[in-house]
Amino acid sequence: MADSVTTAPVARRRFQPFGGKAGEILLEGVYKANPVTKQVLGICIFLAVTNRVANALVMGAALTFVTAMSNLFISALRNSIPRRIRMIAQVAIIATFVIMIDQFFRGFYWSMSKQLGPYVALIITNCIVMGRAEAYAMQNPPLPSLLDGIANGIGYAIILIFISIVRELVGSGSILGFTILPAAWYTKNLIFLLAPGAFFTGGFLIWILETISPSSQSEEGGERK
Amino acid sequence: MNLTPVWVVFLGSIFTNNILFASFLGMCSFLVVSNRIPTAIGLGTAVTFVMFCTTVINFLIYHYILVPLGLDFVSFIIFIAVIAAFVQFLEMFVERFSPSLYYALGIFLPLITVNCAILGASLFMVIRNYNLTQTVFYGLGAGLGWFLAIALMAGLREKMGYSNVPRALRRTGIVMLMAGVIAMTFMGFTGMLSTG
Amino acid sequence: MLPAILAVGVTTAVFIALAVFLLIAERYLVNYGVSNVSINEGSTIFEQDGGTTLLSALYDHKIFVPSACGGKGSCGFCKVVVPEGGGPVLPTELPFLSRAEQRSGVRLSCQVKIKQDIQIQIPEDLLAVKEYRARVSEIRQLTYDIKEINLELIEPEHISHHPGQYVQLQAPDPAGGFIHRAYSISSPVYDDTKVQLVVRLVPDGIASTYVHNLAVGDEVLFTGPYGEFRLNDDPDREIVLVGGGCGMAPLKNIVLTAENRWPGRKVKLFFGARTTKDIFYLDMFKELKEQHPNLEVVYALSDPLGPEEHWDGETGFVHLSVDKYLEQTSRRQAFLCGPPPMISAVMQILGEKGMNPDDIFYDKF
Repeated sequence: MADSVTTAPVARRRFQPFGGKAGEILLEGVYKANPVTKQVLGICIFLAVTNRVANALVMGAALTFVTAMSNLFISALRNSIPRRIRMIAQVAIIATFVIMIDQFFRGFYWSMSKQLGPYVALIITNCIVMGRAEAYAMQNPPLPSLLDGIANGIGYAIILIFISIVRELVGSGSILGFTILPAAWYTKNLIFLLAPGAFFTGGFLIWILETISPSSQSEEGGERK
Repeated sequence: MNLTPVWVVFLGSIFTNNILFASFLGMCSFLVVSNRIPTAIGLGTAVTFVMFCTTVINFLIYHYILVPLGLDFVSFIIFIAVIAAFVQFLEMFVERFSPSLYYALGIFLPLITVNCAILGASLFMVIRNYNLTQTVFYGLGAGLGWFLAIALMAGLREKMGYSNVPRALRRTGIVMLMAGVIAMTFMGFTGMLSTG
Repeated sequence: MLPAILAVGVTTAVFIALAVFLLIAERYLVNYGVSNVSINEGSTIFEQDGGTTLLSALYDHKIFVPSACGGKGSCGFCKVVVPEGGGPVLPTELPFLSRAEQRSGVRLSCQVKIKQDIQIQIPEDLLAVKEYRARVSEIRQLTYDIKEINLELIEPEHISHHPGQYVQLQAPDPAGGFIHRAYSISSPVYDDTKVQLVVRLVPDGIASTYVHNLAVGDEVLFTGPYGEFRLNDDPDREIVLVGGGCGMAPLKNIVLTAENRWPGRKVKLFFGARTTKDIFYLDMFKELKEQHPNLEVVYALSDPLGPEEHWDGETGFVHLSVDKYLEQTSRRQAFLCGPPPMISAVMQILGEKGMNPDDIFYDKF
């Protein structure tokens, strides 16, 4: 069953006697509660980096790294953090890992770093990372939290890669820079590499996924029950 | 040195480089929160004000403290800390001196801290190497641009309530498609400012 | 090494500067000083540091205004009349206040912040509400999703309530803190050292999951009693009770209390359920009928019967049975407990039977 952006996943996990097995955590993060499609988180980055498969791969890896590591550390420290500065502490830990990965890119993959621009830094405010920290890492031991971070990161990365394949193929006829659709007979649809293309592809993806496996959502315009 | 004229920076940040339609920032909080115009106006005003103030503050800290000490890599943490502190300060300030304003805007302020657009504005300010004047107009413009974007989308979503949207597209899907069309429209503004 | 140390140093310095700045701002901006809270024209006055909500201030002084959501502004139960000193009405309160309520100064106490001297009015009944600690003494499974929970009072040892009233049970919230949920007292009022609850398990329901996971010996906290059900003292007045699902709880209380106090009084109980799997207490009521011939009990099942089900009682929705079995009279009191559509349907029928709306009490679940 699909989850919406509420504490539903937390309530369910708390009553599991064994804290959830590794495989189940991974499945939940990657498929059942996929961050982009089901929880509608991390849209900003999703739209920005899916214009090239290379970008998507790298960003997916970066996000997985940050989510996993920050989940691990936040979970390890979860009982030592005073309640009042809880959010600030989480943000500080997440920001540290983001800086690490950003500096890494600047040092070793300068061209990629320029391509990704501010979006690496924006992993800090990315709701996925904060969301997992708050909903899972603060409540569960380090090892499951690490797995949860990896799972959510991979779930996000899969979507990124899939969409970027579509966008790059349609937009420039190539994947990872290798021309698949020759310029001879294929006219590139440049709009797909730009902002509108991102929104359209995202919209169609959600359309397809919602048709295949609908979430239990209230109607448009319905606010209080 | 960024040589773009200030008025181009300003208008550009609202139209051609709209922080939501061109740089995709600030979608999350909007999607989850609002599909009504009054809410959008409240949120938009709050975001504009915070964006304006924090980009300027972050500019000062970045260029007068971090860069001279060679610590520009720490900027992310500092920026987000400044934003969080500013929002909290604003909440206290408004509640004390203008209760009516607080009741209108106050509920939005905690949402703003995690709005990627606010951090994004500061990051763009650094990347594009704006000077102080440019930063002032950029912060203001980016905020107004975001405000414009969500006001447009809220208005359209309100109208959507009367349309027969396919079940699978309701909520997020249709907003994305709408945003795509609006983004295309905004791309048409490119000819407006010849920057070269 | 040096850049790293410098980085940590500068970052910490900036953080400290921001924290100091915020603390100073807080001292100057948020310092409201001490305010007077005056209740019911001065019958009770206490001082309160400014900045807290009215609800939490009242709780601190053992005045338990009902609240299901724990002060988050999502239930609308914590209404209090604030003639003076509450400040402007917040947008978070408006969805829960009718126009009439707004005009008469009704506010949500969880949203009102105490910033100045404030006057409030609280009904006397509410002032009598206490916090109780109790121990689970027995649990019975009534149907596949309904449990009967028996609580032995620890402190205070006695509870005095009217039949049909409810308590607010405290349950831990997975997101932190507590929430409260209202459950009607199903034990009769003459049993004043215990409180019995009938609780249905709601999927993903925080409180009902907590209740269904309780074991004998566990301690619970609740405040009460609340509720405006009042049994009329006239033994000639017929009592009509209509309930659905776990709305049985208050009705059981009323039936037992009424038959104990006025053994010959006419009492008619109508209970609506969906299938035979949802039936409970039927045998107990049948036994009670043998001692009290003036008690009528009608169970109505609304779903079509399955292949193995045997049922020779009424079928259809419960309000149809009400229509079938009630005569025209105005000498009657009615107590309704169940989902809003059931209540509306039954109220219409009761009106057609000649009842005065003031004689109808209801709790919508």
